[in-house]
Amino acid sequence: MSSSHAIGHDHEHAGGHITPLPVYFAVYGALLVLTVVTVAVSYMGLPPLQSITVAMLVAMVKATLVGAWFMHLKYDAKFNVFTFLAALWFMASFFVFTFYDLASRGMVNEVTGQHVLHKDMDEQKK
Amino acid sequence: MSTAAGADHGHAHPWYQAHHFKNMEQQNAANKFGMWLFLVQELLFFAGLFMAYASMRFFYPGTWLEAAEQLDKVMGAVNTIVLLTSSLTMALGVRAAQLGNNGQVAAWCAATLAGAYGFLVIKYLEYSHKIHVGLLPGKWFDFKELTQTNTDAPQLFFSVYFMMTGVHGLHVVIGIGVIFWIMLRALRKDFSPENYSAVENVGLYWHLVDLIWIFLFPLLYLVR
Repeated sequence: MSSSHAIGHDHEHAGGHITPLPVYFAVYGALLVLTVVTVAVSYMGLPPLQSITVAMLVAMVKATLVGAWFMHLKYDAKFNVFTFLAALWFMASFFVFTFYDLASRGMVNEVTGQHVLHKDMDEQKK
Repeated sequence: MSTAAGADHGHAHPWYQAHHFKNMEQQNAANKFGMWLFLVQELLFFAGLFMAYASMRFFYPGTWLEAAEQLDKVMGAVNTIVLLTSSLTMALGVRAAQLGNNGQVAAWCAATLAGAYGFLVIKYLEYSHKIHVGLLPGKWFDFKELTQTNTDAPQLFFSVYFMMTGVHGLHVVIGIGVIFWIMLRALRKDFSPENYSAVENVGLYWHLVDLIWIFLFPLLYLVR
C-alpha cells in the first residue's frame, strides 16, 4: 500500500490507511455533479427504458465512488471486498431468475390458455 | 488458576482490547468483517424491496410513469445532496478518529447528525403533503386526478414508495442513534488510532444508508 499520504509517516499508520482530505472533497464533488446530471437527464424526456438505463448507470458510478472511497473498500482487506461483491452476485441472481419468471408468464398463457397477469384477467372480464 | 481479575492475568492488554484477541489488528479486522456481514445482509434485505418495485413496475409501466410524477423532484434532489453531504462529514469523522482527534470526531458527528435531521425534516414535509392529498398506499389511496386517468393501480406505486422510503427512513433514525453514541464516546475521548473501529463501523452503516438512497432517488423520483 502506498505510504505517500499527507501525514508523512514512512510506515503504515496505526489508524490504517489515511485518505488525504482532497480525495474526500473530490469524491464529494463528483457525487454532487452526478446528482445534477441524473436530475437534468430526467427533464430531457427520454423514453422510459433509456431514462432508467441512464439513471441506473449514474447511480452505479455514484455507488462505486461511495463504496471505494467513503467506505474505504479501495484500501480494505480483499475479503471484505469479496463479501460485498458476493452480495451483489446474489442480488443479481435474485433479479435475473425472478424476471425470467415474470417475463415468461405470457408464454404460459399461450400453452394452457390461462391468464396469469392481473391486467389480462381484468381485460377478460370486460 | 489465578483469582486475579481485570488486566492482571498474566498478560497486559488495553481496556478496549477483548481478552480473546491476540492483538488490536486482529480485533479490528474481526470487527470490520462482522460489520460487512451485517451490511451485506442489509443489501439482501433491501433487494426484496427493490424486487417489489421492479415487478410492480413491470406489470404496470404506465401507472409508474404517471404516479411518479406526483413526487417532488426538487425535494428529492435536495434530500440527496443533504444525505451525500452527511456522508462526507461522516467520512471526515472516521478520518479524524484514525488520527486520534476526538474533538474533531465529535464535531463531524454533530455535522452528520444535522444532515440526518435535515433529511428527516424534508421527508416529513413530503410525507405530510402526500397524506394531505391522499397519495397513500392500498385502500387509503384517495387522489382523484390519478384514479380518473387510465392508470391501473396508482396506489401500488405509493405502497412501494412508502415502504421503501419508510424502511430507509427507519435506517436514518437508527443512524441518528448510533452517530449520537459515537459523538458521546468521542467527547469522552474513547478513540485513538489503535481503537476506532466503532467509529469506522458506524461510518460504514451511514454510508450504506446513503448508498441505498442513491438508488431509491432515481427509481422513485426520476421515472420520467
